[in-house]
Amino acid sequence: MISVRGVRKAFGAATVLDGIDLDVHSGEVVSILGSSGSGKSTLIRCMNGLEKLDAGCITIDDFDVSRPKELTEARKRSATVFQLFNLYPHMTAVQNIALAPVEVLKIPPKQAEADARALLESVGLSARADAFPSQLSGGQRQRVGICRALAMKPRYLLLDEITSALDPEMTSDVLAILAKLASDGTTMVFVTHEIEFARTISSRVVFLDKGQLVVDLPTAEFFAADGGMAKPRIAQFLSKMRKD
Amino acid sequence: MTFDLTILAPHIPFLLKGAVLTAEACVLALVGSLCIGMIVAALVTSASPILSRIAYIYVDLFRNIPFIVQLFFFFYGLPEIGIYLDAFATGVIALSIAGGAFTSDVIRSGILSIDTGILEAAEVSGLSKPTIFRKIVMPIALRTSVRPLGSVFINLILTSSILSTITLNELTGSAKIVASDTFRPFEIYAVLLVAYASLTYLVSLAIGALHRYLNRDQSGVA
Ligand SMILES: Nc1ncnc2c1ncn2[C@@H]1O[C@H](COP(=O)(O)OP(=O)(O)OP(=O)(O)O)[C@@H](O)[C@H]1O
Ligand SMILES: [Mg+2]
Repeated sequence: MISVRGVRKAFGAATVLDGIDLDVHSGEVVSILGSSGSGKSTLIRCMNGLEKLDAGCITIDDFDVSRPKELTEARKRSATVFQLFNLYPHMTAVQNIALAPVEVLKIPPKQAEADARALLESVGLSARADAFPSQLSGGQRQRVGICRALAMKPRYLLLDEITSALDPEMTSDVLAILAKLASDGTTMVFVTHEIEFARTISSRVVFLDKGQLVVDLPTAEFFAADGGMAKPRIAQFLSKMRKD
Repeated sequence: MTFDLTILAPHIPFLLKGAVLTAEACVLALVGSLCIGMIVAALVTSASPILSRIAYIYVDLFRNIPFIVQLFFFFYGLPEIGIYLDAFATGVIALSIAGGAFTSDVIRSGILSIDTGILEAAEVSGLSKPTIFRKIVMPIALRTSVRPLGSVFINLILTSSILSTITLNELTGSAKIVASDTFRPFEIYAVLLVAYASLTYLVSLAIGALHRYLNRDQSGVA
């Protein structure tokens, strides 16, 4: 379980996360919605230890990400997929995927490479396994990014707007992979602007507004007229998102 | 007086020996500069203010002292305090230290140009700091720095001619000897001009090829 308790984070004078509480249980798919600048990326970056918390506590399977020793364990249990892919440019797709399994999980290189190829095959990229990131399209790069995360066999996947740098056609390729992962029971926390997609795959939806988690509801309730939609802030957000 | 290269014929083996010595010194100094350069670049970009300060002092110091002064200090100065090294070892060490200062600066800018997102991806995947440095930071920094490192290496070759001033008969040193034996400085130094120009030209071709190989993914063909 990922547990976020009373998390505060400020950059200089600006408070970006203002007392966040959130639990993500095994098997859940939690979407984080919220307008630009509401702190969604910062929350994800706090979960994977890229930002130091100013107050509060985040644990992943009881490992506290604020303690360097426990962070290592926490990171073995979670994996992140990034908006801008962040693939290693000097390595092929296979090498990108196999690096951490070999170095961190101590899987023999041959085995890790075979696993990487199998993962690429599962996302329809076996033909591009030996290509470098710069030789791949955006959608292909992001699929490699997902494989790189999955290769660590994480219990939790953290995804921050992973389709927002992609055009619609590529977006649907990537979302199809996420839908499959969700139906396989992969635990995911994902930040997205794809409202309809969030609605179809998530078990819960949370809504961030100015650094506060103002709504945390099961998906059906969130989208129900007398649930989340009853809150003017959310109705306004959703109608704006749907217009775009 | 006529321009007559044939008078150099008997001296060719001697000159070739000098050229081989130049090549040996340069290759060793290249390796030395790269090792020093990578370590110093790591220190400069490290989180420790003390280490990075020390590394900066080294870089500033050795880039701002004429090479010949460094060389004389090592060769004529150090024996005074009981450190004796032969001319070849002194030359290689001096070239490595001087070259290391320039190399580290090139590698440092290669490191700083790496997209932080890439480093964050490596970090969250659980890779240790040393592994990230070895597998990601250094390879990316080196491949983006091939051309500027090549210029540093070419400078190293040119600078190696100064080793002739500490009794080392590398290419320039042996040419000097042949010039004074034959009294034909015009021919011999003309040959030397061509020799250095060809040497550096070949090296720059090799650097271009290495750059293209290491950055082959950027060429547009899969
Ligand atoms: N490293 C940083 N330094 C200073 N301010 C930051 C930093 N990172 C984020 N912020 C600020 O924190 C606020 C929240 O940023 P964050 O990236 O978490 O928003 P977001 O909800 O992900 O927005 P978007 O939908 O645009 O991605 C923004 O006002 C942003 O300017
Ligand atoms: Mg964001």
